[in-house]
Amino acid sequence: MTKKKNTWKNPLAIWGAKGGNYEVPTPPYKDPHDIWKKTNSYKVPIKKIGRFHYEYKSSNHGNKIWNRLRWWPTRRTILWTKGVYNRKSLKAEKIRKDKRPIFWFFGLLFLAIAPFILPEGNKTALLTAGGIFGIYASINLCWTLIIGTAGIFSLATYAIVGISAFFTCWLSINLGLPWWTLPLIGMFIGLGFGIIIALPALRLDGFYYGLLTLGLNELCRVFITTSKAFGSASGGLFGADTFINQDWTPMTQTYASYYSAFLLLIAALFLFRFVDGKRIGRILKLAPEKKESFAEASGVDYKRARVTVFLISSVALGFIGGFYAAYYRGVAFNLFDFHTVVMGLAMITIGGIGRSEGAVVGTLIIVILDRVLIELGPMRYIIIGVLMMFTILFLRNGLFGIRKQFKEWRNKKKNEVRSTRVERGGEMLPEQSTEMDNKDEVYRKRYDKMQREFLKTLICNEIIEEHKNKPLGQHSEALERVLYYFRRAAMNDKYVVKCEEPFKKYKIMALSGVRGRSPRLVEDKVYPSVTDAYHGLFLRRVQDLMEA
Amino acid sequence: MNDIVFLLINGITVACIYGLVAVAVSITWSALGLLNLSYGFIFSFAGYGAWLAERHLWGEPIFVLFMGIAAGVVGGVLVCLLVFIPVHDKPNFTIRGMIGTLAVSLIGGQILLQSFGPKAKLLPEFFGYSKIKILDVTLTADKIGVIISSIIMLTLVVKWMKSSRRGLEIRAMMMNPHAASIVGIGVRKTGIYVMAVTGAMTGLSAALLSQTYYLSPFSGLTPMIKGVSIALLGGLGSVRGAVIAAIILGFNEALTTKFIGGRYVLITQFTLIIIVLIFRPRGIAGILDKAREA
Repeated sequence: MTKKKNTWKNPLAIWGAKGGNYEVPTPPYKDPHDIWKKTNSYKVPIKKIGRFHYEYKSSNHGNKIWNRLRWWPTRRTILWTKGVYNRKSLKAEKIRKDKRPIFWFFGLLFLAIAPFILPEGNKTALLTAGGIFGIYASINLCWTLIIGTAGIFSLATYAIVGISAFFTCWLSINLGLPWWTLPLIGMFIGLGFGIIIALPALRLDGFYYGLLTLGLNELCRVFITTSKAFGSASGGLFGADTFINQDWTPMTQTYASYYSAFLLLIAALFLFRFVDGKRIGRILKLAPEKKESFAEASGVDYKRARVTVFLISSVALGFIGGFYAAYYRGVAFNLFDFHTVVMGLAMITIGGIGRSEGAVVGTLIIVILDRVLIELGPMRYIIIGVLMMFTILFLRNGLFGIRKQFKEWRNKKKNEVRSTRVERGGEMLPEQSTEMDNKDEVYRKRYDKMQREFLKTLICNEIIEEHKNKPLGQHSEALERVLYYFRRAAMNDKYVVKCEEPFKKYKIMALSGVRGRSPRLVEDKVYPSVTDAYHGLFLRRVQDLMEA
Repeated sequence: MNDIVFLLINGITVACIYGLVAVAVSITWSALGLLNLSYGFIFSFAGYGAWLAERHLWGEPIFVLFMGIAAGVVGGVLVCLLVFIPVHDKPNFTIRGMIGTLAVSLIGGQILLQSFGPKAKLLPEFFGYSKIKILDVTLTADKIGVIISSIIMLTLVVKWMKSSRRGLEIRAMMMNPHAASIVGIGVRKTGIYVMAVTGAMTGLSAALLSQTYYLSPFSGLTPMIKGVSIALLGGLGSVRGAVIAAIILGFNEALTTKFIGGRYVLITQFTLIIIVLIFRPRGIAGILDKAREA
């Protein structure tokens, strides 16, 4: 026993309460709040995990929370801005819902002023690489339209460019066509070739078509490389008319070629925007792979849209082919190499298939590795291969899919952590509690359980002895708590004392809890006095409490 | 007449070699759902394996041939470990797997180029230099050897797939990969078997082709593209379709070379493939049996 005297003094003793019971032994005081605190505290370690993603909010003038400035003459706002009020300070704030135009603007601005800010030492090499980047990025944008928007897995993109470049170059050499006709003629060649290879696309699905176009690429390579007219002896066809005047200084020529490739890139970006972001692209977004039948049922002619996008891209690729011939004054066979296809695939894979920024940034990375870091030697191809491997092993959709993938991963982790924190009181199964209409009952049961847990700790010989001595009247704190609980119990199966013969025979019964239905006898034991019956009833209740 | 028979024999020889790759592509696609475009690399890898074995171990032609097959198995399992096993349960598996095999072939080709240099290598003649004359058609030993060894290989593989427990697992994966995994067929384990067997086939074709042509880090590319075309015509996933397609394309190659010119082989070939595919999008196997959903 503790040093503290565990006795309870009856406050009514000074008036001489009936039946004695002035000072009784009692269990030490227990705080009823302890069990509440214990139940409500987490017994598992709580890991902090982010809930909101940070979003920069800029402040605003006055009460104007949105900006009405628009691109003239459309109704399009400059940036997609949403006005919100800060939840805490109620200050007006702006959120830029789509920050991509900002990044595009600064990226393209950098490309536009690059010739003036690049270091003088290797400017020519960098600008040449920049020109290659512009052309390849344009090709990859068109390819992204085919693979991403149209969902046609074609690997013959470089073949279209190559065919167009070879034919326009041949025409320029043999018919003396001026340079500005080459891209225009290239468009027709691209359209023709596009129609030929679009035919099987209508019938074949997915990867069958990919393999077929891989073969078509090889077919073009073999046909062109073995053909005398296309310079099988010299490794390519050279001598087309060009827009870069040979009389200019070398630096001017470099600038001219760089800026022409830059303009091509801008044009390709506009094409991407106006195909992918407008009606036809929206139609195709409704008909992703394996959901074509749904789109068809919704009245979308997705096949027509796909072929249209394919042909538009083919025309654009033909244009780029003619541009290529005029840009380099000719074209080499390596445009048809399997290696070129793999490099192109590396570009769009690393950036992320189906997104314009993915195509452009992927091209930038590969061109830097391939054309700028030449001193690495063949090592750079291994680096590119490792980058590709890394991308497919760990990233779902390239660099620009990281954000979405990270958010999904964080949500998954968040839910995992949250599920470890979930504790059930055990008073009700989850499915029971969802099926119960009265949710108060769930909480009542939980509270009831806590209370019973607490009361169980109070039951001891002292209070039983105290109750035996004096069932009615003032009791110690512990006993009083137990008795209050018993008295407050629901009517069904509540024990009551039945008087069979006053002062002689008492029995214990249980109420039915239903009006009109008589109580039932719970035991045949006969108590000689009402006090004994009270105590017997108390013992039964204690037993029920301890067993429940 | 003699010329045509000669060309047909040539066609069958070529069909045998490319047919092996085609069946390999086909089985990989149907059993694993993996479009393996690294057979070009496995081909060169096996060829160099055979070449190294001949140089450093034992020059006996049959031993070299078997070492080529063994190197093919190693190459196949390597691709399986690098690409199939990590990616097979991730979203967009088909496209990621295909790009992964391309990356492996890019890296592998560069490593082979670094290790062995761009100079072409030649393997020894496995079947000697004897000649047989049947009905005034001269057959060289290497052609007969190529035809017989590829038929043996193919028969063994088909027998193995038909009669063994592992083959049963692979066929179950071909029919319904999901159900197969539910009844306890391990996808990864099966992947390794499939890639080992198909690697062996590619290894054999590499050894057979490298004795007549040459061996270089990227010499596997043409056989792979031919194999893929045959598999496409035959219908991905069907061994019978691939065999029929190989014979058709072999004859096409022989006849086009004879009557139109060698330059136009690929043009007639792809015209043929496109025509068949326009009417039968799943290739010849679309008539024969069910192919895996793309």
